[in-house]
Amino acid sequence: MNLLLAPFRGLVDFFQALARIHRIVPWLVAYVFLLPLPEILSATGNDYYIYLTNRILIFILLSVGLNIVKGFCGQVTVGHIGLYAIGAVTSSLLAINYGWPFWAAMPAAVVVTGLAGIIIGLPSVRLEGAYLALATLGLGESVRIMIAVTPALGSSTGIMLIPPPQVGSFVFDDFQKYYYLVMTAAMIGIYLSFSILRSATGRAFMAIREDVIAASVHGINVPANKLLAFVISALYAGAAGALFAHMPPGFIHHNNFTIIEMVTLLLMVVMGGIGHIWGGVIGAIIVYIIYDNTLEFYHIQPLTFGLIMVLLVVFMPQGIGGVIDRYLVTKRFVKLREEKSDGAA
Amino acid sequence: MTTTTKGITALLAAGLVTGLAATALAGEIRIGVTMRMVSENGQKYGQMVVDEFDMINKAGGINGHTLDVTLLNDECKSDKGVANANKLIFQEKIHLLVGSTCSSVSLPIVDVTAKTKVPQIIPHSTNEKITQKGSAWVFRVPVSGRYYAGVNAKYVGENIGKKIAYLCAADAASQNDCEAMQAQMKSQFGAEAAYVAQVQEKEVDFRTHMQKIKSAGVDGIMIAALAETMARALVQSYEAGIPASVNRIGSSSASNSPVPAIAGDAAKGVFFTAAYAAADDRPIARLFNEMVRQRYGIHAPDHDFSQAYDLVRIVEIALGNADLKLDSANLAADRTAIRDAIANVKGYQGLASGPISFCAEATPQCRDGNRTAVLIAYTKGGKDYVTEVLARVTMPVDFGLK
Repeated sequence: MNLLLAPFRGLVDFFQALARIHRIVPWLVAYVFLLPLPEILSATGNDYYIYLTNRILIFILLSVGLNIVKGFCGQVTVGHIGLYAIGAVTSSLLAINYGWPFWAAMPAAVVVTGLAGIIIGLPSVRLEGAYLALATLGLGESVRIMIAVTPALGSSTGIMLIPPPQVGSFVFDDFQKYYYLVMTAAMIGIYLSFSILRSATGRAFMAIREDVIAASVHGINVPANKLLAFVISALYAGAAGALFAHMPPGFIHHNNFTIIEMVTLLLMVVMGGIGHIWGGVIGAIIVYIIYDNTLEFYHIQPLTFGLIMVLLVVFMPQGIGGVIDRYLVTKRFVKLREEKSDGAA
Repeated sequence: MTTTTKGITALLAAGLVTGLAATALAGEIRIGVTMRMVSENGQKYGQMVVDEFDMINKAGGINGHTLDVTLLNDECKSDKGVANANKLIFQEKIHLLVGSTCSSVSLPIVDVTAKTKVPQIIPHSTNEKITQKGSAWVFRVPVSGRYYAGVNAKYVGENIGKKIAYLCAADAASQNDCEAMQAQMKSQFGAEAAYVAQVQEKEVDFRTHMQKIKSAGVDGIMIAALAETMARALVQSYEAGIPASVNRIGSSSASNSPVPAIAGDAAKGVFFTAAYAAADDRPIARLFNEMVRQRYGIHAPDHDFSQAYDLVRIVEIALGNADLKLDSANLAADRTAIRDAIANVKGYQGLASGPISFCAEATPQCRDGNRTAVLIAYTKGGKDYVTEVLARVTMPVDFGLK
């Protein structure tokens, strides 16, 4: 682990120093660092990497959102992909049928998805564990089926010619331009996720995750907080859905939102580490890169993903985030012990 | 050496390796294939494309150039199809894209290939909107849905009756077949649908619909669905007590071998339009049937096999006629040359029931290469199914265009 984290130690120290100035400073610096990424990737002569980065960034937004309800609040949801679909379809239809610009269609889609999050979250008030998983799975899948059989929602042909976002004459119509949009959204999403985690709401979520009864005894409104977690998570899914829909070539189809996509999303969160914000980010990156590099081995690809999931649950239930956490805790413990022994000497 | 220096060295080394790999690829014609490699038959169609290109390589390539084929699975999902197309175009630097199987995947890929100026040739997708997008870079080997509907409707209206029930599955090709058939029945015979139901792409229970159809007293039932779904619907139509005298009409996927294999006796009498009939008695068709039987274990190949085969032959002809430089500096020029060479393929006579011709204009008239649909009926179901050809119809080039 020491060896694994060694290259990043300097970077972590650097960002920690920046955070002492103000909490947002490291984020702004990271943002500036990430701005030239398309040019760097383009210099490799393979623009596909930029497309891949955009896809990963959308999945990061999705998995960070899922982590709020699943990781922070401990609610088992398998309907997140349905919310992603609602965001995508709403934004597309507003843009195509009513001529709304992306900048209006996307927030509207986020709001609509947030409202849908209440519906998906309602069962959590009465249900837990596997029952809640089944209820949310049913709701998520019914969204997809509804899209599939409703011509106004794209039905079998899908929704085509979804216009890309535009600012004046600047159109986000290629990978490079679109990167700035999804990267900004992902950064804001991660930052807000950290802010939620640090807030009273975040602590209430975690209290519910650890012990519902204890949380309730301490005055936390459990049903309201559970619903809030679903709504916040849905807002992320709505934003990710809208970004996915408007990304060139601007086409969505109900097959993009199946249970397979949901399982892939869960794999990202589990691999990264449930309850770790960076876990969602790391998971999205690793899963998508593994997926992309095993494309030619389509015969064994589902088996590979299934095996990874099983091995993770057995050997690394806390995911990569958990391993890093354990390393950091151990490091802190060793440091404390050294300090104590120095003091004693 | 510091960690940063090690990282930079590794990056440079990776860049060098990539560069060397790109140099090594010069002189090859790179072809990307994205298809639905998820079902048993779907994998065999994709494998046939790769195998046929491989055979060309074994025979010495095309004008001395070998073909480098990369096959990716799009799972019949548009986002994965688009990702595959981008990977093949920007990473593999392909000269030609083959794909996809599903209309809902081919539709967005048309926009990708149009923007990146990469020729795309479609093996199976029938949705008429594909060529109506006006891309100068797309070519379709299969018969367009607009032609199938015309042939089906004419036969049904003249020989079966006008009171038809429709069961339409939620995949793009079936929806298109279903809607086009209804439109044709209305325009040719003024016949409204007696019953219409939308069903899921992988629906398993059709009994309620079948009871309603039975009580509607229809002349025929059109089942527009993918193979396995259609087979289940056919079986349940008999379980519901709808007599054999009510004709069962299949969409173009009725041609796929799982339909008679799964439906068994319920497949008998089902008729459909396709681009190829295994009952074709031309020598080329006999040889092809035998080859598919030996190589892929399929009793009688459906039109998705024949279209995959025809596609490779058309590509072979076009690449043979294209003046290719095959170096990285001329990638765009080579892609244009391949597109123009495909557009120059005229009157190709292969396994398809009629000649396939393309032309330069970016219109459906020029890019829907095959206009001849063959009307086929199953005379025996099961794994050793038998078909017969009812009719062969070549449609006017503008047919079905608004």
